Amino acid sequence: MTQSSDDTWTVTIVVPEESSLDEAGETHEFAVSENETILAAARSAGVWLTADCQQGWCITCAARLVDGDVVHPNARRYDTEDREAGYVLICTAKPRADSTLVVEQYDEFLEFRAANNKPPGNSKLSD
Amino acid sequence: MANEKEHGSGSVEPGDTSKRVGAEVIRERGVDPEELREKLIDAIGAEFTTYYYYTNLRMHLAGEEDYKEITEDARLEDRAHFELVVPRVYELEGSLPNDIRDFADRASCPDAEVPTPMDDSGGFDTEDLAVEDILEVLLEAERCAIRTWSEICDMTRGADPRTYDMAQRILNEEMDHEAWFIELLSKERDDEINPAGHFARGEPGDAPYTKNNPFNDSA
Repeated sequence: MTQSSDDTWTVTIVVPEESSLDEAGETHEFAVSENETILAAARSAGVWLTADCQQGWCITCAARLVDGDVVHPNARRYDTEDREAGYVLICTAKPRADSTLVVEQYDEFLEFRAANNKPPGNSKLSD
Repeated sequence: MANEKEHGSGSVEPGDTSKRVGAEVIRERGVDPEELREKLIDAIGAEFTTYYYYTNLRMHLAGEEDYKEITEDARLEDRAHFELVVPRVYELEGSLPNDIRDFADRASCPDAEVPTPMDDSGGFDTEDLAVEDILEVLLEAERCAIRTWSEICDMTRGADPRTYDMAQRILNEEMDHEAWFIELLSKERDDEINPAGHFARGEPGDAPYTKNNPFNDSA
């Protein structure tokens, strides 16, 4: 554990090879304070990750938690089963431990939400 | 001189009505028109639900006539944004969901509900409703819209000037709205002077950027 005196954690971001981002295939590591979102910290570190609403609603920023712990105090659409399945909305997620995440998981999370009959997955993939 | 007029060539055969050059030129420039179209449906879903929710928020700004006027401008302009982009969805071979519940569920911004607890039947108690809480809901709704249309500007810049033009027009008005609600919330909640930098519209819902070349006069 590398928690510092100001409650800052090390977050590692894995960008999948198949991502359309310039950072596809890269891994980035940066510090995130306990009151900072992972998205904001990533963008401050120069890693531009996808996110639209930034209110934990549209799920475009979905990621998978590989290791560590995060909280979502302000997410507008994030359920217990989402957390149990390891999904994270990095626009509102704040670390509570050193964490590793695979980002750009929108399509996968959309399908997961659809399978659980939850929006927006059920409304976008129902045809 | 040839006896027959030559049509321009490209990926769409002359006379083929199963494809649209208007969509293929976007694809040729690196943007997936289907992905863009779906994002537009999500974005105008948010404009449409915001139009609905702002109606309710405006009602509950009882006695705050200046706040009601500003909210009315934002409300009508959000409807204008919906009206502006709907034709573009169809141009890109999409359509609105048949079920309005699907349209609302896929909206790219959260529901801007009156900020008071609801009971199981949807009723809500307004006894402790605070003006500043309504203003905060309005502000955050505008901020979501700014982020959404900024993403669409990013996605279409240099590839789809028609959608980009619409998105940047909407973005202009959403930024006006954010400035208005920052000014009002700052004064109401914090007693701070935080000017928007401009006046209210001449007429309710003027939409100076998105209605200066309207598809029709109804919006």
